[in-house]
Amino acid sequence: MRVGVPCETAFGENRVAVTDKSVAQLRRLGYDVVVEQGAGLKAGFTDAAYQAAGAATVARADAWGADIVLRVGTPDTEEFALLSPQATLIGFLDPRFNTEIVARCAAAGITALSMDMIPRTSRAQSMDALSSMANISGYRAVVEAVHAFGRFLGGQVTAAGKVPPANVFIVGTGVAGLAAIGVAGNLGAVVRATDVRPETAEQVESMGAVFVAAATTERDQGVSADGYAKETSADYNARAAMLYAEQVKWADIVVTTAAIPGKPSPKLITAEMVATMAPGSVIVDLAATGGGNCELTEPGVSYVTANGVAIIGYTDMASRLAGQSSQLYARNVANLVALMTPHSDGQLQVDFDDDIIRTATITKAGEVTFPPPPVQVSVAPSAAVSPVPTPAPAPTPESPPAKPPRPWLLDVAIVAVLSVGLTYLLSFAPAPVLGSLAVFALATVAGYYVVWNVTSALHTPLMSLSNAISGIIIVGAMTQLASPSWPIRILAVLAVVVATVNVVGGFVVTNRMVSMFKRA
Amino acid sequence: MNIPQLVTAAGIVASLLFILAIAGLNRPDTAKRGTAFGVLGMMLAIGATAISMVSANPSPITYWLLGGAVAAGALIGIIRALSVKMTGMPGMVALLNSFGGLASAFVGYNSFLEHSGGTAAHLVEVFLGTLIGTVTFTGSVVAWAKLNEKSWAAQRLLPGRNWINLGLLLLSVLLGVWFVRSESLLALLLASALMAVFGVHLVIAIGGADMPVVVSILNSYSGLAAAFAGFMLASDVLIVTGTLVGSSGLILSYVMCRGMNRSFLAVILGGFGGATGTSVVVGADGEAREINPEGVAKLLTTAGSVIITPGYGMAVAQAQHPVAELTKRLRGLGIKVRFGIHPVAGRMPGHMNVLLAEAHVPYDIVFEMDEINGDFPTTDVVLVIGANDTVNAAAMQPGTPISGMPVLHVWEARNVVVFKRGRGAGYAGVPNPLFSAPNAQMCFGDAAQTIQAINAALAKTVANAA
Repeated sequence: MRVGVPCETAFGENRVAVTDKSVAQLRRLGYDVVVEQGAGLKAGFTDAAYQAAGAATVARADAWGADIVLRVGTPDTEEFALLSPQATLIGFLDPRFNTEIVARCAAAGITALSMDMIPRTSRAQSMDALSSMANISGYRAVVEAVHAFGRFLGGQVTAAGKVPPANVFIVGTGVAGLAAIGVAGNLGAVVRATDVRPETAEQVESMGAVFVAAATTERDQGVSADGYAKETSADYNARAAMLYAEQVKWADIVVTTAAIPGKPSPKLITAEMVATMAPGSVIVDLAATGGGNCELTEPGVSYVTANGVAIIGYTDMASRLAGQSSQLYARNVANLVALMTPHSDGQLQVDFDDDIIRTATITKAGEVTFPPPPVQVSVAPSAAVSPVPTPAPAPTPESPPAKPPRPWLLDVAIVAVLSVGLTYLLSFAPAPVLGSLAVFALATVAGYYVVWNVTSALHTPLMSLSNAISGIIIVGAMTQLASPSWPIRILAVLAVVVATVNVVGGFVVTNRMVSMFKRA
Repeated sequence: MNIPQLVTAAGIVASLLFILAIAGLNRPDTAKRGTAFGVLGMMLAIGATAISMVSANPSPITYWLLGGAVAAGALIGIIRALSVKMTGMPGMVALLNSFGGLASAFVGYNSFLEHSGGTAAHLVEVFLGTLIGTVTFTGSVVAWAKLNEKSWAAQRLLPGRNWINLGLLLLSVLLGVWFVRSESLLALLLASALMAVFGVHLVIAIGGADMPVVVSILNSYSGLAAAFAGFMLASDVLIVTGTLVGSSGLILSYVMCRGMNRSFLAVILGGFGGATGTSVVVGADGEAREINPEGVAKLLTTAGSVIITPGYGMAVAQAQHPVAELTKRLRGLGIKVRFGIHPVAGRMPGHMNVLLAEAHVPYDIVFEMDEINGDFPTTDVVLVIGANDTVNAAAMQPGTPISGMPVLHVWEARNVVVFKRGRGAGYAGVPNPLFSAPNAQMCFGDAAQTIQAINAALAKTVANAA
């Protein structure tokens, strides 16, 4: 089959859906690749580079007419007309916002997969273009902020005086937020971050930033089944607003990344909070596409407020790093194509048994398959249904339905009957045996507890140690050595020899083993 | 000093020391101390017994016999124990165990010869002690031979083996009745012979994968034999120690049976390992992708976290040292390396831990299955070294011989590299869908050599980067 890559036509879109490297990967999967002339220029990929990788550079209509069309953004009406009827379209189609796109794909009779619908499962990570782009946006957000901010980020003591480090506040610690934390921290800023999901604190701290959180009262869960944060309660929002007011006032640079898929972005930073910021401060709003986290954000625009705060609402952050984002996006797309080409024979298969393909597909040969059935992928321990390579994983077998607990009285009754019976039986035993049995019973209990406490890493030494001490039989053999009868003596000598081998060998072996266990 | 009381007193103290010894194995850093307590207890018990014995029969012959026997035994024990390789440890434990069983059997005979005309209770104790000692002896010898891959001890399943076992046991019970009634030495000898056969037959029917359970059961038998000897000699230290060993062996067997999700009885009755290979496993018929050591090295340098899951194959290939070197190199590159150990990996409980410790892998990066199973989804690369059944996702499908056995969920990681000698299935004969999974690649060859090659490739990469 033939893969076509047309130019991106949306205003300000500099990215491209293939690179020379991903062309090579697609060709290894058995595809012919055609790229529209000049498609990669704005991202730094020349036609010559594509040709060297084995792609043909063609006219616009040829690229659109291929069996599989790889895109970054949504095609416009005119471009839809160029698609062949059996085509497969892969790109950021954004069906959750752009409901019209689903109808258009269906009307065109094509199969369409949207890169933003790739589920956040472990197996899908290599195709998770949203994360790839978020990472770049986070980086770029800090770069834009630094550009607009008239000072150093790192503190310095110079001959001309002391420069304090800049204060950076990151809202939302998803992929973009963490990337921003990393960049700002590396430039020397003091970084604080917050998120509605308290469990991200560890990740924030691992990046060297301080996690600040709204005072929590009840269980403010933030973990959602699909791996993204979701909307929060009104009470929580009130407490969070206090936190934001405090932190925004403290910060020189604020980067907000709190976007909720398919919903308008929550308004976290109010106009009053912006008014408390020092002149020269910067707010970068990565949630601008969904309306922005700041009340004053104007999507797509960068401007300075009356009190001197620069508010950057660019919606094309990833495109502003076109070479990098094209490289990662092209790889994500090629990995998706690879998943759909199980035999590397250049034949694309839309296999709905695969949850990644199922979820990403919004129309299949004109039939609407959006929205997909939910895929549970969370980090929450209960929902550990990570993809198993076998197509038909059975539900975890080791959870039989819990038995109703036995009434305790029944337990007591059973034990009482057994105790009486045992006492009766024991009363027949001869006195010396009875004494020995007492020792035996107590030793059983002691053995049970002491052995269960042994760590599993030391089970082999336990075995050889207990083996060594089972050579205690030597004590019995030795007493028999004193017998006046020679046959007994000979047997006893043999017994002492083998028992000694057991004891000494056992201890030496145990010692060899336990001496090896060393801490890092 | 009252000599007979000295022995009892020493016995009490020795028993306490033995409990302390096992308690010392709670943690790796107290393990050495624990072993020393065990040695101390043993020396105390032997010393006190020697004093009492010599004072009971102060003839030079007694000294010589005792000294000679102990010296000879100690010499053999030390030489064997120092020369055995760590990978041969399971066999060594089985062999030592057989000696314990043999000694118990001898003591049983002696006890009978010494006190002919004892009570019925004493005779029962003698009979049971001797027979358990004999089963332990022959069973352990077969286990040792199996672990050392002697061909005569390969798994063999006689038709109606459970009936044979039952018959042997019934016959021994009859002989026991005869023995107690008539005090006939012949009955004891015949019963011993039957039990010797029983021990061989019991163990020879058991497949390789179940050897850890067998070794620990035999270990528990040797404890029981010692405990019975304690009953017949009225020696508390023997009872306590024997019981400790008995519970340790039984608990270990239980832990392992649980690790394989199989009933204790099913393991004992044998016939598991190497049986049917016909079961159909969904998803196991795909093509396996191969990767060479250089490829693995490249993959590893891009990883942030790595989990290594070793199995018996690592022990066979003696690959623990190259693996330790690999671990050191990766940690040097700032990569998080951990080990995930399945409870039944290897031929003995804790076998993998011992091998890794031998190669100086720090024990605090070695984790149990339950501790690490949740971490696979966030792991970049998993190296499966000579393990198969313990990482087989088929265990999560119904209808295979390993169904329901808890396994390491390695397939949830981003990349899995499987080191394997050939393309066969594991001991259980179940095909492994992991090998053809989209995120898995196979690195065929001797594990020690391939991992050496990866080390070399890594060294080159680092040198180039520097």
